[in-house]
Amino acid sequence: MVRTEPLPPELRRMNLEIEEIARSAGLDFYQVIFELLDARDVNALAAYTGFPVRYPSWRFGMEFERLDKGYAWGLSKIYELVINNDPTYAYLVRSNTPMEQKLVMAHVYGHADFFKHNIWFQPTNRHMVDGMADHGSRIRRYIERYGQEEVERFLDAALALDNLIDPYLPLRELRKSKAPARRPVSPLERARRSFRAVSGERPEPDEVEVPPPSGTPTLDVLGFLAKHADLSDWQRDILEVVRSEAYYFVPQRMTKIMNEGWASFWHSRIMTRSLVDASEIVDFADCHSGATASQPGQLNPYKLGIDLFRYAEEKGMDLFRLRATHNDVSFIDTVVDEEFAHRSNLFLYNRNPRTGRMEVADRDWQAIKSELLASMAGGGAPQIELVDRDYEGREELLLVHRFDGRELQLDQAGETLKQVAQLWKRPCHLETQADGQTVRLTSDGVEVKSVETLEGAEEAAEDRQAS
Amino acid sequence: MHRIERDRARFREIVRGRLRKDLRKYLSSTELLGRRGDKSVSIPIPQIELPRFRFGDNSKQGVGQGPGEEGDPVDGEPQEGEGAGSAGDQAGSHILEVDVDLAELAEMLGDELELPNIEPRGDRLLSAEGGRYTGIRTTGPKSLRHFRRTYDRALRRTIASGDWDPFDPKVIPIHDDERIRHQKPAPKPESSAVIFHVMDVSGSMGREQKDVVRIKAFWIDTWLRSQYTNLEVVYIVHDAVARVVDQETFFHLRESGGTKISSAYELLLEQILEKYRPEEWNIYPFHYSDGDNWSARDTERCVGLLRDELLPRVNQFCYGQVKSAYGSGQFMKDLDGALGQEERLVTASVEDREGVPGAIKAFLGRGV
Repeated sequence: MVRTEPLPPELRRMNLEIEEIARSAGLDFYQVIFELLDARDVNALAAYTGFPVRYPSWRFGMEFERLDKGYAWGLSKIYELVINNDPTYAYLVRSNTPMEQKLVMAHVYGHADFFKHNIWFQPTNRHMVDGMADHGSRIRRYIERYGQEEVERFLDAALALDNLIDPYLPLRELRKSKAPARRPVSPLERARRSFRAVSGERPEPDEVEVPPPSGTPTLDVLGFLAKHADLSDWQRDILEVVRSEAYYFVPQRMTKIMNEGWASFWHSRIMTRSLVDASEIVDFADCHSGATASQPGQLNPYKLGIDLFRYAEEKGMDLFRLRATHNDVSFIDTVVDEEFAHRSNLFLYNRNPRTGRMEVADRDWQAIKSELLASMAGGGAPQIELVDRDYEGREELLLVHRFDGRELQLDQAGETLKQVAQLWKRPCHLETQADGQTVRLTSDGVEVKSVETLEGAEEAAEDRQAS
Repeated sequence: MHRIERDRARFREIVRGRLRKDLRKYLSSTELLGRRGDKSVSIPIPQIELPRFRFGDNSKQGVGQGPGEEGDPVDGEPQEGEGAGSAGDQAGSHILEVDVDLAELAEMLGDELELPNIEPRGDRLLSAEGGRYTGIRTTGPKSLRHFRRTYDRALRRTIASGDWDPFDPKVIPIHDDERIRHQKPAPKPESSAVIFHVMDVSGSMGREQKDVVRIKAFWIDTWLRSQYTNLEVVYIVHDAVARVVDQETFFHLRESGGTKISSAYELLLEQILEKYRPEEWNIYPFHYSDGDNWSARDTERCVGLLRDELLPRVNQFCYGQVKSAYGSGQFMKDLDGALGQEERLVTASVEDREGVPGAIKAFLGRGV
């Protein structure tokens, strides 16, 4: 559906110039291929998360509906879309002004450098455009054979579980394969290795697929099910597809602030120092401040990210090292201090029980920082661990939510657990906390039961340790 | 067809309930476009959100960025006491809020429901009055000054002339910077129309039924307004007797008692004969009821009035039957039975809010 055509000469010239500036500034990237598309096509691509070919699903249609209507009503407009791949593909919207195209290109080179160098992206499949197309054709084949509804139902069930993965697994496995583990290594040595891993000596991880699931306990519940559940071949394959795509996307969740911050930092620098001409400066400022505007109630990753990188530069930190070695959590932990919180106008808000409104509660930097870190832990998804695959000797699964202060939406958790049980074909249990109590949900795939076990929880914990 | 169009078509089929009925229970926000204030509308986008392991909405706190003292409200939060009557604060519903004027809105409604433009009776001259403020000029009344464009020009001039000081960013527009909104003429056919909204307010019409009527009446008005330069709206309510009321009363009145539909049709006829003569007016009566009439005799009388007096005089008579817990819905069956052949009579039943677009399409889809 992407009608590829060569860039018009004006844009091609611009691109060469920007690429040159980006390289001389120290950015390094796979080849970047820009394509010029109509807004509608960009919306369609965005609905497919950037990939021209994906499996058929109403979900993409739903996303397209939203983007398309938003565009038609003049509410939202996609400026830039770039995908982590070698070569790196990026899309330009035909209706943008030349100034906007320059800005987007400069921004894209920031992302492209980040994809290539940030450590969390090292294990990702760099030929995911092909990977996605392959997943699409596999699923299309199953649809032909088993019927759309049947396959779609299973796919929906699998996608409901696509956050049951271990975000740290691919990187762990990558390191293991690099240096066969003999004995525990010191933290210093680990850090050195990760530096080496990003410095580029490593052979190209060509067909990197996701590492095989490990044993229990594991956060990679999806991998466990794909390997051990009693499924037919096509069902197992769909779980694999969903799992592999989930692992491909997880680094983007973990580095959202850094990634956008890095790209914005560079588009701003390249534009203001080398590229924007006098007649465009007001429009550029307008566009840039629109993208980095902060709204009081929420954090804008572009704004927070660019603030962090600018502050880090001012403090003499090595920006290129920062962008290679961190994710959002460790980056914020490293950079945010009292001065930053103050200068960036950060505040903590909470709900005033009297008025029912959200109000500015605190400007204490330590409180702000710990709330920031807490809210980003685990890439924003609950950490749910499979701790026992043979619970009480009945081949039932016991999942435990690693509680960090944020409660699960219980009714949805019950429904989701039901789907786990349907895949596993045996009852499954989930322990979490609600209103300060430990709660155990149990589902046999048909019903969901919920039991509060205040005392029972400790016993269970002891049991687990004993076994 | 694009692949994405296939996915979208499938999504729409699911939303309409034709496929994958198991997903319907996860569908959120199907309220049709509602009105907020004078001009802005919210456009709910249907969304299906399947259950996952996710954090609940029990977030007691968060981090924001911006100015503000301790205790200052964080903007973007709904105020208490606003938005009464509109559901849609359920998790996951996407509601886009926009400012559009009613002409654009009508156009979009027309596109969405594929409504044909109406060819009014009685051709008259084109009028070039009115029009919208879509143009920009350098002269004109100050009250129409385009603030943003004016300051944009002023900023450019300040920078170009070297007076810009980033540490004391002052922008003072001068006369040449001013940009003034300018009205572009938009010729429209001159023609007049009158809408009669007739509602049954007997005890069986509850709040939900009235809401459906309210939404429907708003959209019908909006559409017809885009088609006629001169549109009048007359509101009539009836239980056992009928009377003309103002808009406010029409939507808020709660009466009880029996239902004698003929009383409304008689009043309607009286209005048409006295004030809105068919040679000069395009006439659109809309009657909403739950379909429970007093007696079969009265229904007969209604059928007679419609066939002999009303239908010959109107462009189209629309009867919308709103489903209620008490209504028998008999009236629509009787109408269809007796007058099913009549071209100018359109009947539609509306189950709930979701049925509104379908009913509007049935009413206005003929373009007469």
